[in-house]
Amino acid sequence: MVTREDVENIALLSKLFVPEEELDSLTQSMQDIINFADEINNAPASDEGFDNINNLSNVFREDVVVPSYPSEEILKNAPEQGEDHFLVRNRA
Amino acid sequence: MKYELVAGFETHIELQTKTKIFCGCTTQFGGEPNTHCCPVCIGLPGTLPVLNREVVRYAIKAGLAVHGEIAEVAKMDRKNYCYPDLAKAYQISQLYAPLIIGGYVELSNGRKIRLHHIHIEEDAGKLIHQHGDTYVDYNRGGVPLIEIVSEPDIRSIDEAKEYVEKLQQVMRYIGISDCKMQEGSMRCDVNISVRPAGSEKLGTRTEIKNMNSITNIAKAMEYEFERQTDLIESGGAVVQETLRYDDATGTTSSMRSKEDAHDYRYFRDPDLVTINVSREEVEALRAELPELPADKCRRYIGEFGLPEKDAQLLTKYRAISEYFDKACEGVKSAKTVANFIIGQIFRRTETESDKEVFAVATTPEQLNELVKLLDSGKIRNNLAKSTLEKMLDSGKGALEFISESDMGGVDEGALLELCKAAIEANPKAVEDFKNGKEKAIKALVGNVMKNSRGKADAVAAEAKIKELIS
Repeated sequence: MVTREDVENIALLSKLFVPEEELDSLTQSMQDIINFADEINNAPASDEGFDNINNLSNVFREDVVVPSYPSEEILKNAPEQGEDHFLVRNRA
Repeated sequence: MKYELVAGFETHIELQTKTKIFCGCTTQFGGEPNTHCCPVCIGLPGTLPVLNREVVRYAIKAGLAVHGEIAEVAKMDRKNYCYPDLAKAYQISQLYAPLIIGGYVELSNGRKIRLHHIHIEEDAGKLIHQHGDTYVDYNRGGVPLIEIVSEPDIRSIDEAKEYVEKLQQVMRYIGISDCKMQEGSMRCDVNISVRPAGSEKLGTRTEIKNMNSITNIAKAMEYEFERQTDLIESGGAVVQETLRYDDATGTTSSMRSKEDAHDYRYFRDPDLVTINVSREEVEALRAELPELPADKCRRYIGEFGLPEKDAQLLTKYRAISEYFDKACEGVKSAKTVANFIIGQIFRRTETESDKEVFAVATTPEQLNELVKLLDSGKIRNNLAKSTLEKMLDSGKGALEFISESDMGGVDEGALLELCKAAIEANPKAVEDFKNGKEKAIKALVGNVMKNSRGKADAVAAEAKIKELIS
């Protein structure tokens, strides 16, 4: 059973602000999602050997260096940057 | 009431692979900020991580070196937390099916510190806090780590220090990490609690995060042990929390309050497939391991008859033990070789990092040759010692400094002449000796040794001199 407190806690962990008036509807939505997942869990299936849809295992890279990106490219999408770093402002 | 300390460690060790765990960026330490990065390790949407094969191999070696069981099936999980050191807001780690289960580290007092498991994961980026803002460098983000999680088996600060040292030593031996605590390639989280001595029940623990030197680990544990004991004695209770140790004040302080205690919501990472480890691969990796320090130490004591202290000094670093092994080949007494290394060569490798590299001008083969000359009775100990000094200065072999005429001893008649000459040349020493200054005889013996170029037998010379002057 999903409670309002669960939703508040998840919002806190995800650094999301949830207005008080949305809590009830979000709690219901979350409960619906969980119910749906339960439904899938209850579907009859043999769980023999199923791991992933492509049935792959041991996909590895060799330990060979490839050139990294220039820092300008890496920082291009940063909301803010300073001295070649990603910059996170203190919101407090 | 007497209290007992109970501690467990979570030790992070950076693996010395060439590339990061999920992309081909270099793992080199340092570098200009954000220059060892690519879309994978800064977590851009649409990228896919692919596991570095070498990380799995290194971790398996680490597991074997601490007697762990290598899982046949291992999986990667996401550990979710929102903090700027992780670009993706989750760290790829292992919780449900780690690569290595169990294992132990044996201490010199015979106690085994059991390991719960070892898992592989990615390192986070580096944060620099300035004027309330945070600057993020992701060069370290995605560098492969193993995390070695021990059981709460540690009972004293000395055991804690030895545990960390032993891990450091063995991981360096097998060549998977340099384990430099000051550079962050080895970091420890210490879980610590206290309980009345003799009690079986574990007390409430606190966790001291990110310790980066053995000295600080010891200091922080000492402080925390006192703090918790005082708290309980005064009727209070320890609160489970995460602490930071402040080196400057020597105290611990709370990092996270209970309200935002972490809830990592682990789940299987759907981007990464299962790792299956064949038993053949495990055996092949086991065969690649060098002789481990604990085994070497036992061999030096058991086979070579070395004192435990010598054996420990010679096995502390792999380079020293390999030098010693080579220098010992075919010699009569390994103890002689040990004495030369510990007595003379160690004086030229003063720092720990010098000892670790053990780049000495004299090769182990050259030392071996010198010891064999000594074994065969062709030269005496004094000459061997002074020759080794010259060898260490020059990198040349023993025979560069020892001529045919130096070999063989000094006969009775020659010794008598040498002693007479020494007495004549040092009237003051003779006088002092006669007046009861026993030590004065050393100057006379020294003169004999010098003039015989180390060939004379010092004990015989001393006896002869005494005979002549008394």
